[in-house]
Amino acid sequence: MSIFGKSIVELTRLVQEKKIGKRELFEYFKKRIAKYNPNLNVFITLPEYKEHVNYGSLLGIPLAIKDNFCTKNIRTTASSKVLDDFIPPYESTVTQKLLNEGAGILGKTNMDAWAHGNSTETSDYGPTRNPWNINRSPGGSSGGSAAAVSAYLSPAAIGSETAGSIRQPASWCGIVGIKPTYGRVSRYGVVAMGSSLDSPGPLTLTVEDSAYILKILAGKDPYDATSSPVPVQDYLSIMKQKKKFIIGFSDEYFEGVNEEIKTKILAALDIFRRLGHTTKKIKLISPKYAISVYTIIQRAEVSSNLARYDGIRFGNDRRSFGSEAKRRLMFGAYTLSYGYYDAYYKKAQKVRTLIIEDFKRVFSEVDAIVAPTCPITALKLGEFKKYPFFGEIMDVLNEPGAVAGLPAINIPVGLDSSSLPIGLQIMGRHFEEGSLLNLAHQFEKETEFFGIIKKGLEKYKDE
Amino acid sequence: MKRILNKDEIKHLATLSGLQITDAELETYQKQLTETLDYMQNLNELKTENTPPTSNVSNLENVFFQDGGENKRGLTQSEALSNAKQKKDGQFQVKRIL
Repeated sequence: MSIFGKSIVELTRLVQEKKIGKRELFEYFKKRIAKYNPNLNVFITLPEYKEHVNYGSLLGIPLAIKDNFCTKNIRTTASSKVLDDFIPPYESTVTQKLLNEGAGILGKTNMDAWAHGNSTETSDYGPTRNPWNINRSPGGSSGGSAAAVSAYLSPAAIGSETAGSIRQPASWCGIVGIKPTYGRVSRYGVVAMGSSLDSPGPLTLTVEDSAYILKILAGKDPYDATSSPVPVQDYLSIMKQKKKFIIGFSDEYFEGVNEEIKTKILAALDIFRRLGHTTKKIKLISPKYAISVYTIIQRAEVSSNLARYDGIRFGNDRRSFGSEAKRRLMFGAYTLSYGYYDAYYKKAQKVRTLIIEDFKRVFSEVDAIVAPTCPITALKLGEFKKYPFFGEIMDVLNEPGAVAGLPAINIPVGLDSSSLPIGLQIMGRHFEEGSLLNLAHQFEKETEFFGIIKKGLEKYKDE
Repeated sequence: MKRILNKDEIKHLATLSGLQITDAELETYQKQLTETLDYMQNLNELKTENTPPTSNVSNLENVFFQDGGENKRGLTQSEALSNAKQKKDGQFQVKRIL
């Protein structure tokens, strides 16, 4: 029974039919990790196998979890030395929901420290390497999670996005990743970065797997006051419906984008038209303003959220913060400080309103918006140092949707001339993840993502 | 609104953020923070006199926890202390204040 490359949906069926054992499945991935992780540096912590006590839709499935989710009795560091020896005495809602369905924790994945970044290079545990080319970054901040799936060191992974941190690594690693609507998935137990922005979500090999996992994660949590009471859609059934959509695309989201990426996105729009959807040119506020809105609001919220790390109740003291964290803490403090609050923080909040209104207007004309996920493909490791605020610049195309709280999915739509994956994003209305999954699934069925995911796995065979 | 941060301001920000920075770091941060602030100026290109600020994209209001309801996720004293480096008699130990 070959396990290599099988999706979550396929694996759960095999476990339930007793064609593979739960322990067998765990050991299978452990073996692969022993072989490939030293080169890729995907995992920070690898716990021992634990007998699954619950029986549910993820029975026996081991999952890679980004290291900013508190996992009870399993070290959680957020890739920062401040939490180097932190062992959470409680479980995050996301991981609790997975455990309730019978899943297992395979390992905690590397990330940018505190999720501050887009390349997994600000980690205090070394960078993760892109499985497509180990001299390149897998993207970030959920780089470890994306690389884990791309190299099949885990059949799926959990990540989180504040602006781009699921979509962009999914794009650079050539896999599927969905950022749900803000408030769709509980943030309880997630190391907080930007409290008005953070959105946990899955990274997977197939669209169906993302729908499958999202269904488990979504829903109101009484322990997260910002989690939404809006009913959860039946993602799997909506995904399979024969629907036609009006898809918008905007010139503003192609500015500054690499030519090869533009070509693939336009080709994808042709495919959507061939599938019977209507495409329509729309006008949106330039994403360059969202960079400023996001940088100010996120860093302000970061400066507040990271105040709790005093080394008294848990963790090491503030001398253990890395330079990126220090940079963001001070910037955030500045924009909130007396005399500058109105000019920066309040102004950013007002422009945030403009962006929200802008999307509202556009979503009365279209059902979904297609755009490149990132202006470039995977950068060489070390190049991020050239940029003054790298993370925020790289996520220019993700920030508008993020500040508006909108959901978005990344799918691989091509390879560039350096054989690096190109990602396309589909943005949708609040709480309409079903439409995104439907469109993505239609594209997947039609193209099989041009064999990209299979190609990515070629270098990572079992023996 | 164009600002160039001076060394005293950076020192002040470091104090506000509870951080200790070296003189070399001070210069680097001065340059980087100023560069970032520079970019933020583009927000002034957009008119917002009559625009209300948004702090919460989900428009949720007054979300309460049931008083007297079961708190399934409370920590015991030993759980709460489990990661503290300095504890005494079931309490966190801190630097002397008074």
